[in-house]
Amino acid sequence: MAHVNDNVLESIVNKVVSQVESDLIAQIESSYAQSLERLMASKASLESEYSKIVESASKQAENLKRQMVESSRLAVRNKQLLLIEEAVNNVLKDAISRIDGVRADERYETMMRRLIESALDAIGTDAVIECNDKDRDMVDRIALELQHKYNFSIEIGDSIDCLGGIRARSKDGSIILDNTLDSRIERLKPILKKDIARLFMV
Amino acid sequence: MVARGRIIWISGPAVKADGMSEAKMYETVYVGESRLIGEVIRLTGDTAFIQVYESTSGLRPGEPVIGTGNPLSVLLGPGMIGRIYDGIQRPLDDIAKSSGAFISRGIAVDPVDKKKRYRFTPTVKVGDELSAGSKLGEVDETPLIKHHIMLPPDSPGGRVVAVEKEGDYDLEHPIATLEKDGRRYEAKMYHYWPVRRPRPLKEKLDPEIPLITGQRVIDTLFPVAKGGTAAIPGGFGTGKTVTMHQIAKWADAQVVIYIGCGERGNEMTEVLVEFPHLTDPRSGRPLMERTVLVANTSNMPVAAREASIYTGVTMGEYYRDMGYDVVLVADSTSRWAEALREMSGRLEEMPAEEGYPSYLASRLAEFYERAGRGIALGTPERIGSVTLIGAVSPSGADFTEPVTTHTIRFIKTFWGLDTRLAYSRHYPAINWMISYSGYVDSIAKWWMKSVSEEWFKLREEGYYILQREDTLKEIVRLLGPEALPDEEKLVLEVARMIKIGILQQAAFDKIDTYCSPTKQFKLLKLMVGFYREAQKALKAGISLADIRSMQIITRMIKAKFEISEEEISKIDALYDEMIGEFKALTTREVKQVVG
Amino acid sequence: MVEVGVEYTRVSEIRGPLLIVEGVSRASFDELVEIETIDGIKRLGKVLEVGQGKAVIQVFEGTTGLSVKGTRARFLGKTMEVPVSQELLGRIFDGLGRPIDGLPEPIAEEFRDVNGAPINPERREYPRDFIQTGVSVIDGMLTLVRGQKLPIFSGSGMPHNILAAQIARQATVVGSGEEFAVVFAAIGVQYSEAQYFKRSLEESGALRRSTLFLNLADDPAIERIITPRVALTVAEYLAFDLNMHVLVILTDMTNYAEALREISAAREEVPGRKGYPGYLYTDLATIYERAGRIKNVKGSITQMPILSMPADDITHPIPDLTGYITEGQIVLSRDLFRRDIYPPVGVLMSLSRLMKDGVGEGKTRADHMEVSNQLYDAYARAQEVRALSEIVGKAGLTGVDLKYLDFGDAFEQHFLKQAVDENRTLEETLRRAWDVLSTLPEGELTKIKEVHIKKYYKARG
Repeated sequence: MAHVNDNVLESIVNKVVSQVESDLIAQIESSYAQSLERLMASKASLESEYSKIVESASKQAENLKRQMVESSRLAVRNKQLLLIEEAVNNVLKDAISRIDGVRADERYETMMRRLIESALDAIGTDAVIECNDKDRDMVDRIALELQHKYNFSIEIGDSIDCLGGIRARSKDGSIILDNTLDSRIERLKPILKKDIARLFMV
Repeated sequence: MVARGRIIWISGPAVKADGMSEAKMYETVYVGESRLIGEVIRLTGDTAFIQVYESTSGLRPGEPVIGTGNPLSVLLGPGMIGRIYDGIQRPLDDIAKSSGAFISRGIAVDPVDKKKRYRFTPTVKVGDELSAGSKLGEVDETPLIKHHIMLPPDSPGGRVVAVEKEGDYDLEHPIATLEKDGRRYEAKMYHYWPVRRPRPLKEKLDPEIPLITGQRVIDTLFPVAKGGTAAIPGGFGTGKTVTMHQIAKWADAQVVIYIGCGERGNEMTEVLVEFPHLTDPRSGRPLMERTVLVANTSNMPVAAREASIYTGVTMGEYYRDMGYDVVLVADSTSRWAEALREMSGRLEEMPAEEGYPSYLASRLAEFYERAGRGIALGTPERIGSVTLIGAVSPSGADFTEPVTTHTIRFIKTFWGLDTRLAYSRHYPAINWMISYSGYVDSIAKWWMKSVSEEWFKLREEGYYILQREDTLKEIVRLLGPEALPDEEKLVLEVARMIKIGILQQAAFDKIDTYCSPTKQFKLLKLMVGFYREAQKALKAGISLADIRSMQIITRMIKAKFEISEEEISKIDALYDEMIGEFKALTTREVKQVVG
Repeated sequence: MVEVGVEYTRVSEIRGPLLIVEGVSRASFDELVEIETIDGIKRLGKVLEVGQGKAVIQVFEGTTGLSVKGTRARFLGKTMEVPVSQELLGRIFDGLGRPIDGLPEPIAEEFRDVNGAPINPERREYPRDFIQTGVSVIDGMLTLVRGQKLPIFSGSGMPHNILAAQIARQATVVGSGEEFAVVFAAIGVQYSEAQYFKRSLEESGALRRSTLFLNLADDPAIERIITPRVALTVAEYLAFDLNMHVLVILTDMTNYAEALREISAAREEVPGRKGYPGYLYTDLATIYERAGRIKNVKGSITQMPILSMPADDITHPIPDLTGYITEGQIVLSRDLFRRDIYPPVGVLMSLSRLMKDGVGEGKTRADHMEVSNQLYDAYARAQEVRALSEIVGKAGLTGVDLKYLDFGDAFEQHFLKQAVDENRTLEETLRRAWDVLSTLPEGELTKIKEVHIKKYYKARG
């Protein structure tokens, strides 16, 4: 009985063992397949991850490059602007320093006359005209000549510090017209600048 | 003697001048050295308040103001069709010729080319006795418009003592001489008419013919009659302008006046670019050959915006007097009202609601009163109409604001645009629950005679389905759709089909943009027919699910843009197929029961 | 002869931003005025009203510190002008157009009136060139075209500037590869916001083709009236004289309108809604209408104004009147923003009026418009179903309704949402659109013609 039983037992054990074995093998096989699959899958995702990193890095590099190129171009341009400005200012300074010489020109008086007239037209009431010491005599003379045109009084005020031209105001001080060369040059500057700058830029 | 004064005060478009005791109210004046055009709107002593139709930037006190002796008028004669004018009838293309792409000021140009020669054919002969407004002859203005040359409505009339024979003449050439009470005067092919004075009719007639616009929700549900009035208020983005463009394109009128009043520049450009390439579905000719544009865009001077409405309507009345049906669309009357408000504010008048002047309502009434169908003055008898359609742009889409509420008092058709519909891209976003038309009964006869006897009944049924859906939607909102019995769920389903398949219409789809009355009727019959059949089927024990899953529904809904006017009989075929499918459903049901 | 301008010293009243000068015999409406304080500090202003010896002047830099005595007003005989030239690109200016980048005053080719002149509608070219922004919701459903004015309606704290900067960086006209010049006007915004924009332009290398005008939160409020006008005058020069395609960003127009209200109140004008002047519409139009194209001119101005809606209220006069003038609007949604969806564009309230002319066969793709319409339709339905499901629960919904719930999520996650630096092609945008539309049964696509459904609809399975 025991012998038989042993045999039976053995065959059962064998059966079980082989069953387990085949199960195991199957399991191993399937998990192998699975991990292979996973590996393949992760390979793909790894690859795409990798290429993404490379892509974004190269994009960043591209951006950085563009940024650097553009900003250095901008810096060069800005330097150029500063140089032009400096040159323009030098030219203006030079021009202003020569104004004294202009006074001898007869056109200077014509201009002064026009400046005074336009100022008196604008003020239209008792007026005070101011100018620098150098121009005082000329302004005196012109004012006297013009007096007959206006039905209000024209006075010559204290001397002021300016390159040339005149400043006029109503006697009560409520209206002022600054026709000094300083103020005119200041206002002309943007327009002059363009002309001067043109000489520097080919 | 004309007035010659001097500017004493300037604030934006409002200018005060003194020395103006010779000036008359609403007289046109030239303002300043650059001769800007203005109009006297108030006189106090010898001081005149003037609204200036051009930018006053740079204008200074002391500059001259010179009267013209005439009220603000438009020139009426051949050559207006196809053109684009600013608010005071200056052709914008001629302005561009002298000032380039940007509009500058003080430009004087004739509204039409007075040197252009037209072939004049007289229709009167020497010895004829003519009354005011009578026709003298005609010229071909465009292939679509035979332009009647008429005596002005305020002409004394008289006996024809001379008339030119058929031939080519320019506008300044006298084409006839008349004699009245021993005095002789000449008539030319044009005359002037003051814009603020309506051109009189001999007799007003009832509006009984619908203005077919090719837009289903309008023609089928809320029609406007020829000579009628309609308003279309809506918040921004609800599609006012698109609807106005659609009406201008497809309405069955002979002349269309499109007024862009304080709106976008690009919208006028769009009309200018598009209309020459679009053909009138009836005549096959380019739409531009029947259209006049008046453009005073939002960034153009505000006072001219006020005038643009009158300029437009006066031109409309002129073509009406020739016996044409004219449609005038004004987009937007709110901007016109704002111009009134701005001028009123500058004059420091006592404001009424929201700063609008107290005369806002009467001005609106006067404007809409200029609509109508009637018999023109003089001989021969001519019947024409002016239909006025005004867009309203209520601030905050609030229909209780003054311009909307006052407008509603003077119009008979109301197309209320709904922001919520627009958000879900239900276009045109005309809300069928708040809109109405006072013309349905008077024009029903036309539909029943020209399209089908069934029209009135079907329209009522279709409209009823929509109204029931509105009530049911409240329940659904609270309890969900499953709370409804099948019969009511069916109402929801058919309402959905009507909304998508009929009410929604794609303005920019080649086929869907215009829908003929016959097609409108057939689509309506299709949907209402479906409802009738489905009701029967439900009663016969068919489940709603079976009805809903019928494949034909999608095709019915898409019929509007899948089936063109040329193959319109396909809708009949679809109808028959639909009836057939219901039969099949019922038979199957019967079989199942028997089996 | 250059006008030096008459000075008047009799100041009778200073009220809010207004200076009233008496005894003025030579002044014109809209004239530029230079105001000098007793300490010699200069400010600018313009004439709002003139006559009977009196001039009402609006002072751009505000009246703080001005006194009745000793203040002088010099009338300059011209309206406010700005210098224009190509060299303005790559530069930064204050709100009145004065340099703040340490560089000299620009050398002007010309001086232009900041008010501009209205473009003759007859000379306009209708805008129809598609601009690819790389942002799906815009390219797919709110297409921008060259010459359009399309504002962003936002609310405080929402990423409108991030979106505008992304558009400025990415915008191209497909096929041409042409890049936009950018004119940026900061109107009363915080330093950090302006800085973000500047950095964004810098990092993408776009600063060299940009001009910045900065009126910051702590700069004078009345100056804001001028800032957009200065910016647009420069933009017009670049576009219509130099033939460039210019993208103008104006942020924040709400601050502009508030400055306008301040002046109106000081003038004691009859107010319209919410205290804003009755002419707010007309005034805004003189800014927004300075966009577009002109016949026979290559350049264009595309405008993207940004405004914050007070209390997120779209019916507030500023967004309301803006919406009536602009060609559509991009509305940002607080709800999407809270749910961390970027860009938080509330598509249902948003619209591009010119889209219809910029898309379709030969421009983008034949199905583009219909796809867009269907997305709107479906998303609207999805929102309705969402609201309903909150009341009756998912159980109370029918089969189709459930599909719409899924659609809503897919739309937001797969189509709407994207990264700040993600630049999608139009093809990708449309592919994503069909992906999400394909979550719905075919029969639901009632806005798309059969031919397109056959071609693009993806049967599930």
